[in-house]
Amino acid sequence: MYDMNRVETDVTQDDIKIAARDVQVWYGEKHAIKDVNVDILDKTVTAFIGPSGCGKSTFLRCINRMNDTIPSAKIEGRITLDGDDIYDRRIDPVQLRARVGMVFQKPNPFPKSIFDNVAYGPRIHGLARNRAELDEIVEKALRGAALWNEVKDRLAEPGTGLSGGQQQRLCIARAVATAPEVLLMDEPCSALDPIATGQVEELIDQLRSEFSVVIVTHSMQQAARVSQKTAFFHLGNLVEYGDTDDIFTKPQDSRTEAYISGRIG
Amino acid sequence: MTDNTTNAAVTHRHDWSSDRFQGNLARRRRGEKILAGLGLGAIALAFLMLAILLWTLISGGAQAFRQTHVAIEVPISAELVDPADPSEGNYRNVVRDAMQATFPDAEPSELRALSGILSNAAQFVIRDKVVADPSLIGQTVSINVPASDPYDQLQKGNVDTDSDESTRRLNDAEIAAFQQLQDQGRITMPVNWALLANADSRFPELAGLKGAIIGSAYALLVCFLISFPLGIGAAIYLEEFAPKNRLSDIIEVNINNLAAVPSVVFGLLALAVFLGWFGMPRSAPLVGGLTLALMTLPTIIIATRNALKAVPPSIREAALGVGASRQQVVFGHVLPLAMPGILTGTIIGLAQALGETAPLLLIGMNAFVTAAPSTPLDAATALPTQIFIWADSPERGFVSRTSAAILVLLGFLVMMNAVAIFLRNRFERNW
Repeated sequence: MYDMNRVETDVTQDDIKIAARDVQVWYGEKHAIKDVNVDILDKTVTAFIGPSGCGKSTFLRCINRMNDTIPSAKIEGRITLDGDDIYDRRIDPVQLRARVGMVFQKPNPFPKSIFDNVAYGPRIHGLARNRAELDEIVEKALRGAALWNEVKDRLAEPGTGLSGGQQQRLCIARAVATAPEVLLMDEPCSALDPIATGQVEELIDQLRSEFSVVIVTHSMQQAARVSQKTAFFHLGNLVEYGDTDDIFTKPQDSRTEAYISGRIG
Repeated sequence: MTDNTTNAAVTHRHDWSSDRFQGNLARRRRGEKILAGLGLGAIALAFLMLAILLWTLISGGAQAFRQTHVAIEVPISAELVDPADPSEGNYRNVVRDAMQATFPDAEPSELRALSGILSNAAQFVIRDKVVADPSLIGQTVSINVPASDPYDQLQKGNVDTDSDESTRRLNDAEIAAFQQLQDQGRITMPVNWALLANADSRFPELAGLKGAIIGSAYALLVCFLISFPLGIGAAIYLEEFAPKNRLSDIIEVNINNLAAVPSVVFGLLALAVFLGWFGMPRSAPLVGGLTLALMTLPTIIIATRNALKAVPPSIREAALGVGASRQQVVFGHVLPLAMPGILTGTIIGLAQALGETAPLLLIGMNAFVTAAPSTPLDAATALPTQIFIWADSPERGFVSRTSAAILVLLGFLVMMNAVAIFLRNRFERNW
């Protein structure tokens, strides 16, 4: 019985959610991402680490096509979500972003009520048929972001009135409200204090059961704490990708070793 | 020796209390004081100028807010006014009879001059009263009518009675007659509501701003209805949707240039296009509003673009990140957050338009119009052009009325700016 379960988890863990092949990104003349090949697994936390300007955030933003909004950005190569090319002309970036949610560096709730913040995605995508369904979605999302107990009595109050850590969890609730398959997090804890960071990290670990989570982080300790897979970026190249434990204990590449031991960064 | 000095320089501590450093410090302090003093002086000068402007306007215009009235008893005889058709009566002679009753000693030849004490409108005031109530025919009615302008000026102390008789409009006999009325307690100076309730007139005592205020209101309404949606639409396109390339740079530069084009040029454009090609009516507030809209558009576009730019990018990213389309981002998040800034800019643009004179002169809104417009297509004046007309009029009474009209215009401008400040404070957000 135990073995069977074990086998099942292994199989789901090996599901490739996102596959990137020969991805190149240019910002105008700048070659920001060079030949990145990576397979991101379902129900796994994958951490992107690397020094500032190494392209980890840029690559993250390719996965939900947020780079489309930057006129000078040019993307080549192939990124697939469940085998479908997300840069295919038939894919609408608006719908893609409902499937690939994103949480940003600085908590950015809308200047609206807590309820409206979470309900925004379901509303624009028409996910709820009536008010009761919407209430249900909002509650589920807030529970999923471990925020429900703190805000259930003041859903009508503005989201901007919450503390920084609560705001970031509200943004996570907003992202998971559209029931995405992948959750992208761009340094989600860099604007938070250690206690709020701890809460968000705990939350990330819970989110893994439902989503494929990709997190960009500056903190190697954070990568080690929350992720199962780690990718090290340097100067636009994906230098090394593997199990987090392996990356931190026996890195294959000298640049990875230099970075995790603090010699470059 | 050389080595010694080098070593000394390395370990040297500056003597901050030395004359050299103290002098340096004093010089910097002095420079700062001079700068602060100059700034304060500039502001004081600006306030002084403003005070002088307001003082001139108020001291000159205050008189216009009161109007000398004469109380007379008017006998309305059936001989002069036919009860069957009261509107066609000989009211000129009714007024003459009233003056005869007021001055029993006057010769009939003097009555014409005495009637001149009353405003030319006296006969129409009486006529309107009789038409409204024909039963007054055969009775004597007490009526308060405006005095004509020379006597109004006399009452307000603007006539030097000691000067040579030939240099003033009223001779000694006329002044004596007015003095007689005053002794009888017939002269009063009530608040001059006619200034707001009447349209323009050749006679200062009857002239009012109603036509100009309504004309300006119609013109501003047309201006707002056209420039507000067009301006916001253009700004949203340029800021949120237009590709950033050479063409959009050229458009941007030209919108900024357009904001700096002298208003009289817009007047010429309107004259050629609206009146010339489209054959729109001359002097109409509709055309005035269209012309002002041309001028206000760049102001609104620039204000809207700045307000849109001020919305933090994190809000756009947040909305895009959950899968909002660009249109949903703009109309659901960016535009509502930018609205206070847009409204402030719009009101300031409209306030500029309200005070604009030159383009309205070119499309004929400086016509002499004695009826307030009932639609935007009727001929009308606007407040600034009315000021222009009155400032040009020779009658003494128009001098103070010009100042009064400027005060009314300034009152509207202050109100609009107050609304803009209120909106800005009310909806200002902290991120």
